[in-house]
Amino acid sequence: MKYMIMMFGDAATMMEQQPKEWIAEMMQFMHTLNDDLSRSGELVDAQGLTDGSQAKTVRFKNGIPVATDGPFAESKESLIGYWIVDVDAEARAIEIASRVVAFIGPAGAPPVEVRQIMAAPPEI
Amino acid sequence: LRTDPRIEDLLRELAPQVLGALVRRHGQFDACEDAVQEALLAAALQWADEGVPDSPRAWLTTVATRRLVDEWRSESARRRRQETEAVLELPGQARPADQDDTLTLLFLCCHPSLSVPSQLALTLRAVGGLTTAEIARAFLVPEVTLAQRISRAKQSIKSTGIRFDLPPQPERADRLRVVLQVLYLVFNEGYTTSSGPAVHRADLTNEAIRLARMLLQLVPGDGEVAGLLALMLLTDARRAARTKPDGSLVPLAEQQRELWNTAQIEEGVALVTRTLGKVPIGPYQLQAAIAAVHDEAPTAEETDWPQIRALYEVLDRVSPGPVVTLNRAVAVAMVDGPRAGLALLGTLDTDERMARTHRLEAVRGHLLELAGDLVAARASYQRAARMTASLPEQRYLALRAARLG
Repeated sequence: MKYMIMMFGDAATMMEQQPKEWIAEMMQFMHTLNDDLSRSGELVDAQGLTDGSQAKTVRFKNGIPVATDGPFAESKESLIGYWIVDVDAEARAIEIASRVVAFIGPAGAPPVEVRQIMAAPPEI
Repeated sequence: LRTDPRIEDLLRELAPQVLGALVRRHGQFDACEDAVQEALLAAALQWADEGVPDSPRAWLTTVATRRLVDEWRSESARRRRQETEAVLELPGQARPADQDDTLTLLFLCCHPSLSVPSQLALTLRAVGGLTTAEIARAFLVPEVTLAQRISRAKQSIKSTGIRFDLPPQPERADRLRVVLQVLYLVFNEGYTTSSGPAVHRADLTNEAIRLARMLLQLVPGDGEVAGLLALMLLTDARRAARTKPDGSLVPLAEQQRELWNTAQIEEGVALVTRTLGKVPIGPYQLQAAIAAVHDEAPTAEETDWPQIRALYEVLDRVSPGPVVTLNRAVAVAMVDGPRAGLALLGTLDTDERMARTHRLEAVRGHLLELAGDLVAARASYQRAARMTASLPEQRYLALRAARLG
């Protein structure tokens, strides 16, 4: 079963408020986590997104789609990165997400969301 | 890489036999498995150019053994002396095919100590003879991820010291159930049409059927193995009618039955007929028997629902569970009317095991629609659409709901 583990928030602000030791530890943490998931044969994909300030939002305006600068969601709510993992059960995806939260939570990061990817066989 | 389908079929058939013989002789499942994979690749290249050798099995065994020796040579001198002595007597003189080795291999790959994804990957590679790249494509994961999964599974076999022997008789039946479960999961994985190149997914159903056929040859007396093979054949027979070209699902009652694969239906029905009543009955046989009743009906209206209901009642005794109750409710509804089916469904409302699946609401929506309660049916379809983890099914349920809007 594949799950997407999504990290929200504003990475830039979080890092501006943290000491350099924390930033170094965070980099090491992410590296180790990806390494572990890759070695366990569970990592499908992991990506980070550019800062929310770089986003473009496309809206339907006056009958046509129009692109404007900036994010749709507030930066503290926008997606900043994700992991896709292929695991035995939901509990394992939650365990991985908990590892992330245990690290970034104390720095004030918002919760992490775990969603199953639609890939189950249909039962009709 | 492997272009000639006849060569590929032969290689995939021989792969577990050669690997079984090697492991039986030398132990070291992980090293032997690597060596056999290399031998398969070498054979695919060489046989395509020079033709298939007179004794393809001996050819593969010899080449794989040489790879093993090469591997050992690159290790420490002490080790090299030990192992080379053990190998010298072998090349070219493989003993006759020992069918039990393939079975032992299957038990090993489906060992309960391995995670389910590892069991699937290892079975497809070591027994199915698929390459890591092929398996990775089928499961829509990066090749490096799948390679890691296989190497970890092998490591785990090594470190837990699992022996290359048939499980002792008292536990063999339980271990066989795990093997059947793994093959069924491979089949189901192939049935997923939500994403990825459909052709690779279909390959998984074919591979599951091939492995189940092989397993039936190894344990011909087991009714559940025959039952699983029959269930796969009878389900897969409807593949062409099950989805429209745009990928949307067609429910059984609305399928164009002339698109069903009659050869597969005949084979499945024959298997069910041969085993039913002669061996202890099990859940796969019963599910196959139910699938056979559906497949034998010339039209949806002519389906023998009383017989299906009776079979679900037996299944409920042999292997009770909420999913059986759910399916039995549909059969009850078709025989005694939708309200009777809904009453049976109601018994599942407090069942914790159903709380997180969409199936209860999907079936309820269907029965409510049959009962003419379209408002409640729509609400049930909508709830089910929110809960399913299958994209085509979500669209199907949303469409059912919208139709009633």
